[in-house]
Amino acid sequence: MRILIVEDDAPLARGVISLLRAAGHAIDHVASGEDALSVAATEPYSLVILDVGLPDIDGFEVLARLRARGDQVQVLMLTARDGLDDRVRGLDLGADDYLRKPFDVEELEARVRALGRRRGGDAAPEMRIGAMTINRSTGRVEVGERVIELRRREWAVLEALAARAGQIVSRETLQAEVFGFDDPVGSNALEVNVTRLRSKLAPDGPAIRTVRGVGYMLDRS
Amino acid sequence: MTAAEGTPKRALSLRRRLGIAMLGPLVIAALALGVIGWALISDVVRRTNDRVLGGALGAIAETVQVERGEVTLDLPPAAFGMLENSERDNVYYRIAVGDELLTGYADLPAPDLASLSTEEPRFRYAEYRGQRIRIGEVRRDLPRVQAPVVVQVAETLDNRNALRQRLMTALLLGEVVLVGFALALIRPALGWSLRPLAELRAAIEARDTRAAPDLSPLRTGPLPAELQPLSRSFDRLLARLDDATSAMRRFTADASHQMRTPLSVLKVQVALARRGSDEALREIDEATDRLERLLTQLLTLARADEAGTLPPLEQVDLVEVSRRAISRRIRQAIEADVELLLDSDEKAQFSVLGHRSLVYEMLSNLVDNAIRYNRPGGKVTVALRKDASGTQLIVSDDGPGIPAAQRAQAMARFARLQGENGPPGSGLGLAIVQSSAERLGANLKLEDAGPGLRVIVTFGQGG
Repeated sequence: MRILIVEDDAPLARGVISLLRAAGHAIDHVASGEDALSVAATEPYSLVILDVGLPDIDGFEVLARLRARGDQVQVLMLTARDGLDDRVRGLDLGADDYLRKPFDVEELEARVRALGRRRGGDAAPEMRIGAMTINRSTGRVEVGERVIELRRREWAVLEALAARAGQIVSRETLQAEVFGFDDPVGSNALEVNVTRLRSKLAPDGPAIRTVRGVGYMLDRS
Repeated sequence: MTAAEGTPKRALSLRRRLGIAMLGPLVIAALALGVIGWALISDVVRRTNDRVLGGALGAIAETVQVERGEVTLDLPPAAFGMLENSERDNVYYRIAVGDELLTGYADLPAPDLASLSTEEPRFRYAEYRGQRIRIGEVRRDLPRVQAPVVVQVAETLDNRNALRQRLMTALLLGEVVLVGFALALIRPALGWSLRPLAELRAAIEARDTRAAPDLSPLRTGPLPAELQPLSRSFDRLLARLDDATSAMRRFTADASHQMRTPLSVLKVQVALARRGSDEALREIDEATDRLERLLTQLLTLARADEAGTLPPLEQVDLVEVSRRAISRRIRQAIEADVELLLDSDEKAQFSVLGHRSLVYEMLSNLVDNAIRYNRPGGKVTVALRKDASGTQLIVSDDGPGIPAAQRAQAMARFARLQGENGPPGSGLGLAIVQSSAERLGANLKLEDAGPGLRVIVTFGQGG
């Protein structure tokens, strides 16, 4: 999924970016609250990882403004502060989860996965679509008895389509969810990934239909 | 109270002090009162008895008459009755015409006739038959009698002495009771007077808890004027302690907060290294450097903040300190591709009164900042100048500088300015510089070096 990291500490941001990119997510990074607000207004992020201590407006303020303008994006707060007050405040302001620095990498990954599942309205890690089983915690995909090996972009496409199986996902939305700003994207990168994914799922898995001029749809059956 | 071995020596108790302070003056006052009382009592006893004596004298003198050329008198018994008393004083009398005895005791000491008045009886002490007596005497001039008639009545002094003694005894007894009472009152009076002090002590003791010391001003009832300065000084002490502890608490919180981010970086990068990332080791290296620097800076700042432990002022040679600070930073400068140079007049002396280690830490942090926030190929200049305001230590760089609006903020602890995309800093460098400058009594000023930042530390003439 597409994740925005709002963190002013460059080394930490670099670390979290490599970590989450390796897990197949598309990551964008900004270092200030104002930048976060302007980027989040235009890009369809599934998750914002928001540091509380930012140089301009703090993370709480960013969260409050996001919620005030009706943005329901999932927000995971990161804080270096100790107090329980901060956690309560963050959750009250509409944060979906909260993590204190220094955090365990496994915990960050697990929470990101959990938040990703909740986005689809279904928090269970396993999802069945026709003969296909997707485990969103482990990233394992099976069709029948067959384990499908996916590259991380293909996984991102499948995850995005599976979350809205049976619905048309517009090309632009899919593009925005799968690629970050900085990803080197060729004009037909999305098509290439969709095509590869489609061939890997065939013949017994669910079909990915192209709705010409609109987008893509993963068949429910 | 005998102080046992090892117990600390105690000052005299307040009760003793008050007792000692009061006893002397009280005894002196009692003695003075005794002397005055004795004089007054003697006077009153003398006057009263003299009046009785005078009464008897008058009654006898009344009866002296001339009958057919002969002086006669009729001694009234009532006159002597007046003089009877419990002490059985002896009463003597003598009535004479001129020198010739009419009746009475002939050897009663005769008066000096010339000075004796006919109006007022005269009283005097005399010696008679081995005893002190008081004589009342009056003169009467009778018609057709050549010589003046002299009437004398005398009594011994036993009654007078006894009366005076009784009165004196009563007076002295009263005084002793008064002094004793005053001394006995010291303890309860002191207890009552010191009750506000006990309340104050209770209020102070209530603060002495291990849990979370309450450093707000004491809340006591209205205090006597004598205790108000004490309570005020205690409140001031509490307030200073409060400032110090909250500064310490803030600092600890800030410091731990500051360590969390590099620790997170370490954790993330260690995980990535385990998964085979090539980048991770370099990042781990950087993060540990950063933690190390943060730790060093925190310690330096704590030292610069430490109150009251500075050694005496010494002459600090700024040229020597600058050279040392530059040689400490030269490797860092080479790695960052920054030229580092000292600009000072070879012949001039740049010596200021201060503390060498503080000047060194301050300069070292300034140079560190200047290298860190510079551009590759940039320059850092440490310059020494002298002008009317004093000796100046100037560090300038070619970095992005700090906008005027953010300069005050830049000196705050853990301040990291917006839009900083350069190397990670702790935000402590300028705080250390400022704290050191403050302790050295030097003036710190940030200026635009167009481009870059110029930091000017001015040591006053005196320091």
